[in-house]
Amino acid sequence: MPDAKRSDSLMDKVWTFFTSLKLAITIIIILATASIIGTIIEQNQPMEKYRQFYGDGTIRLFEATGLFDMYHSWWFLLLLVLFTINLACCTLDRLPRVVRTVRNPKTTLDDGLEKTLGLTDRWKKKGARETLAASYGEAMGREFGKPRVTEDGDAVHLYAERGVVSRFGVYVTHLSIVIIFIGAIVGNVAGFKGYANIVEGQSIGDVPVRGGAEKVNLGFQVRCNRFWVENYPSGQPKEYASDLSVLENGVEVLRKKIVVNDPLQYKGVWFYQSSYGQAGAATAAVTVNKAGGGAAETLTLSAGQKVQVPGYGVVSAVDYQPNFQGFGPALLVVLEKPGKSPVEFWLLKAHPEFDRQRNDPYFLAFAGINELFYTGLQVARDPGVNVVWAGCALMVVGICIAFFTSHQRLWLRLSPAADGRVEVVLAGSASRNRLAFEKKFERILTDMKAVAS
Amino acid sequence: MLNVRLFDLTTLLFGVASVNYVAALYGKKDTLARVGTWICIVAAVVSTAALGVRWAESYKMGIGRIPVTNLYESLVFFAWAVNLFYLFVEWRYKNRTFGAFVMPIAFATMLFAFTNESSIQPLVPALQSYWLHAHVITCFVGYAAFAVSAGTAVMFLMKAKQEEAKTTGGVVGVLPPTKVLDELVYKAIMWGFPFLTAGIITGAAWANYAWGTYWSWDPKETWSLIVWLVYAAFLHARITRGWHGRRAAILSIAGFLATIMCYLGVNLVLSGLHSYGGS
Repeated sequence: MPDAKRSDSLMDKVWTFFTSLKLAITIIIILATASIIGTIIEQNQPMEKYRQFYGDGTIRLFEATGLFDMYHSWWFLLLLVLFTINLACCTLDRLPRVVRTVRNPKTTLDDGLEKTLGLTDRWKKKGARETLAASYGEAMGREFGKPRVTEDGDAVHLYAERGVVSRFGVYVTHLSIVIIFIGAIVGNVAGFKGYANIVEGQSIGDVPVRGGAEKVNLGFQVRCNRFWVENYPSGQPKEYASDLSVLENGVEVLRKKIVVNDPLQYKGVWFYQSSYGQAGAATAAVTVNKAGGGAAETLTLSAGQKVQVPGYGVVSAVDYQPNFQGFGPALLVVLEKPGKSPVEFWLLKAHPEFDRQRNDPYFLAFAGINELFYTGLQVARDPGVNVVWAGCALMVVGICIAFFTSHQRLWLRLSPAADGRVEVVLAGSASRNRLAFEKKFERILTDMKAVAS
Repeated sequence: MLNVRLFDLTTLLFGVASVNYVAALYGKKDTLARVGTWICIVAAVVSTAALGVRWAESYKMGIGRIPVTNLYESLVFFAWAVNLFYLFVEWRYKNRTFGAFVMPIAFATMLFAFTNESSIQPLVPALQSYWLHAHVITCFVGYAAFAVSAGTAVMFLMKAKQEEAKTTGGVVGVLPPTKVLDELVYKAIMWGFPFLTAGIITGAAWANYAWGTYWSWDPKETWSLIVWLVYAAFLHARITRGWHGRRAAILSIAGFLATIMCYLGVNLVLSGLHSYGGS
């Protein structure tokens, strides 16, 4: 039927299009060019920033073509899909052929094959064909690999091969790319990426998703017990650390100190140390002690806040010095007793008894500054990530097979020569690194010629 | 610091070696080139020692870490790798003319390093990871291989032009035949590509462990992908389409330009997460 034939040829055309290397290289070049553009136009910046660089017309054009978030634009994703289809089609097109030739190797060396091989040599030898075949076969097994013997008329063919796996390196590599893409899709569909700030002492149970309004419910709670920064002696930051607890129904089930490069993982959700900040103003802790000894009360003072000490007066903190006249951290407080004018004096953290010098029924001591931080955490769940790593591992393996192994084949043919002796032909080929194989072939050739009948 | 003195000495040695190789090429004096080889070997020893000393000195300062964490260190490490890769090629191909095209790359790199801050700084929290070692070393071995490939590609283009004109004289006359050059352009990329791949993968693994995303289309990541794509195109064009000679050489040079952009351009021109290498 003419119709069927036409659709057949259309299918053929589509198939040829998707299996062509030209398409692969074209897509690679377009991907590379687009990627360059994406690094020149800064991605996902606030509109105000773009207005500083671009005119209204340009902004409209870039927005319409998705260039401000290019890597997630429909056409960039379409390119990636095309790339994957191309890869898959190329594999489906070529792999069966390779499997066929690997499973049914050409074990006989006929004249046609001999002409296509670069490495051949021939010599004549006295003796019975069968005996010669046996001793050459043994030598070949020793030098290269145990040969398969095929008798064809009055000729005997020996064939051995090494490194067949080399033929599959390229397909393993291509498959690995598809696996990485699958992992990425799984992660995008089934996972989430979010960001959360947790104030010290507080906990969260759901996380806002990055770039969206919705929240993900974790199904458990995460509490930040403490956040701190450690510095090098030079003052540069050495460590950003959060002490986190995981709570199930209010009960702590896991506790871990996380730092940058050492995240917390619970039920497939990962928490990464990402940023921090001050949550509200710092407070000063001041203890109120009876001069004659007795229970101390601790006051928490914010800047300028007046706190009543029953039966004594009103205390407020007005200044803080990290190193007051060489005495270390110090707090300037104001004490207002009823009916008296306010007095102002320093408390030294290093000398808690210092305030006894006022000779009052109560003396005060400075216990330290409490700064309240919040920790900023990247939160991610990515069920596809292990698929991606499997793909990556496979890619390294595939590339190494493709580049550093070689499919080497060796043929030897024994046939009767006109003068009654046996003509021996040795031929070889290698799929890669032919120079090295040439040397190997020379060595095998010398050894073969030396074989006694 | 002793390590910086040793790196300064390395710079000098690379410079002298480059001059020797170029002079040997123009003056057709093989003795000069042979001296160049010995200088390169001494430079390899000195620069290896310098890296070791720098490593040790960082421990003495109480901030011990591998010396590949800022622009200065990555530049000297790159030059170190180029020199070693070059010596390997020279030994393997028994030809000293490559030196005139590859060693100036190492020398220029060291000169650029010389203009950068060379003191040992402690590691910021983001860099404190064992992935750092695997990531930087694989990337730079790859870069060094690409540098050798591009240098050879330049040689190829010069030689090919001369072979077309059917002349044999001059400087170009002593270069290896185009067949050898073409093969080396390809072989160096064959070595560089797996290392670049491993470098991108270790970088992704590290990013995932530090930030929770293995790929965020950050300019550094994107440029490494561009480099990877260019060399992937090279390999496909070569293996399945038989792209040899001129076109392959031009692609190799394009790939190396992309590599330089990825390595230096991104930090110096663009901005992004990967800002450590820029200072």
